[in-house]
Amino acid sequence: MHCLLYAVLFSAFAWVVLIVNGRRRVFALTLAGVMVLMLVVIPPQAKTQAQGGIIQAIQAVLKVLNSMILPVVNSIHGTRSANSNFYQTTVWPVPSINQSNSLVLQMIGQYRNLMSGILHINLRSATLPAPQSMESLIRDHQVNNFGGLTQSFNSTYRTIPTPTDANQADRDMSDFDDALTLDSLKTLKAADSATDLELQAADSIESAAGQAVPGSTPFLTATATSSSIRSQALTQKMLAAELRQEAARIAHQNGLRKRGAMFTTQLRGTIMNLSQHN
Amino acid sequence: MTSVSAALERSKSWVWSRRLRIIILVIILALTAPWPATGQALSPCCVILAAGLSSIANSLKTIASSLSAILGVDKEMLQFEQTVVWPTSAITQAQALVGSQQGIFARIQALIHIPVNSATQPNPQQLEATLLSRNASQIPQTSANYTALYGPVPTTTDASPQVRDLIDMTDAAAQGAMKRAIQIDALSDLEIQAAGQINQSIQTAAPGSAPIIEAQADAWLVRANAYTQAATADLMRLRAIDLANSSADIKMGATNTTNLRRQLMNLLQHN
Repeated sequence: MHCLLYAVLFSAFAWVVLIVNGRRRVFALTLAGVMVLMLVVIPPQAKTQAQGGIIQAIQAVLKVLNSMILPVVNSIHGTRSANSNFYQTTVWPVPSINQSNSLVLQMIGQYRNLMSGILHINLRSATLPAPQSMESLIRDHQVNNFGGLTQSFNSTYRTIPTPTDANQADRDMSDFDDALTLDSLKTLKAADSATDLELQAADSIESAAGQAVPGSTPFLTATATSSSIRSQALTQKMLAAELRQEAARIAHQNGLRKRGAMFTTQLRGTIMNLSQHN
Repeated sequence: MTSVSAALERSKSWVWSRRLRIIILVIILALTAPWPATGQALSPCCVILAAGLSSIANSLKTIASSLSAILGVDKEMLQFEQTVVWPTSAITQAQALVGSQQGIFARIQALIHIPVNSATQPNPQQLEATLLSRNASQIPQTSANYTALYGPVPTTTDASPQVRDLIDMTDAAAQGAMKRAIQIDALSDLEIQAAGQINQSIQTAAPGSAPIIEAQADAWLVRANAYTQAATADLMRLRAIDLANSSADIKMGATNTTNLRRQLMNLLQHN
């Protein structure tokens, strides 16, 4: 487009220059034509402006890269490095993790067998055959010999009186006292066995803690807490048995008090009758 | 033929007469014509562009170097987390341990459900069955079974109001403790059930979600402690009533002794 315009203008200019007469006219026309052509072909201001625009654009891009993006990237690098360093030296330092694992293992070595030894010291103290048998049964941590325990209990404490030896109220109270005693002893045998299992669970959790890493520890603490709930439940079972036993004990005393009141009334009536007869 | 040569001769003469103008036009054409580009390397624009792009490339190289350093830090951190903090093998091992705990729990659960009932007579059997039922809905039956075994509070003709109060209070404490025992047994069964569920969910948890389950287990533990305290409180109540009964026996003994002395005095005076 630009060249076509130039060709048209130059042709017109050449034709006019060649046909015009007079030196002054030719000179004036030539000057005017040159000026017009210069204006058409070379727009010097635009050229300068274009060059200035490119430089400014490049400078702007460089400014963005150097003054905005580069510092941010450097800052991210700095933060990430600090973060990584913080985790590796402050939050999860490998020496500290190893030290903790070693502490667990050291404490296992120091306490586990010692405490197990203390717990398994023989506490039996009975001297006569029947109490010895019963004592052995109530401390054996077994739950498959409840029949033997009942027999042994009856041998030591004897069975309830026969109907000819005692009235039904006494037989009932005696039977219930014996029953709750045996219930508690059986519950304790089961609780002893459960305690053994709890200790086994505690040992395995502690052993695992000796090889744990920070990421696996929540599993161990969660299962330990879950074991604590069960342990509490077992304690509650034992407390419930103790509650029953204590309740039966004061109920027994209260029963005797009731019967005392009844006997006193009966005695008073008998004395009154006797005094009236006399 | 002659006309053509005449025309040529006229043209030559016309061109020759304007030779100066033609020379000037050629010069102007040479100077002003829009010639094709002489080569980019020589253009000042291209030089400026090349220099600018070179600067941009240098800046980008610096940025790439920083990004590469960031990548290095990230890779190092990833490796640290995968080998030190959360190694998959250790996590799998911990989950396996939780699985083995589940087996122990199952054995404990079986142990505490072994029947321990021992009474032989009908009334004791009935009360014992209620007490060992672990069923909260059987709590209301306790009082009837208790009265069948231990008898009711003496009537007003059989005992003084003081003795009746004492007996009634003691019965209430004993029955309350028995009812609490049923309650605690039922609650502990539920706790054991919940502990089993918690343990099962730990097996399938992720390291990030395990602390949530742990928090729940902690909450259950707090609850379990509260139940234990409730049971301990009832045990303390029983012992307090027992102590109060011992004290009441002394008080009633003193009153009875005083009354007896007074009656003996009266008898002696009458005689």
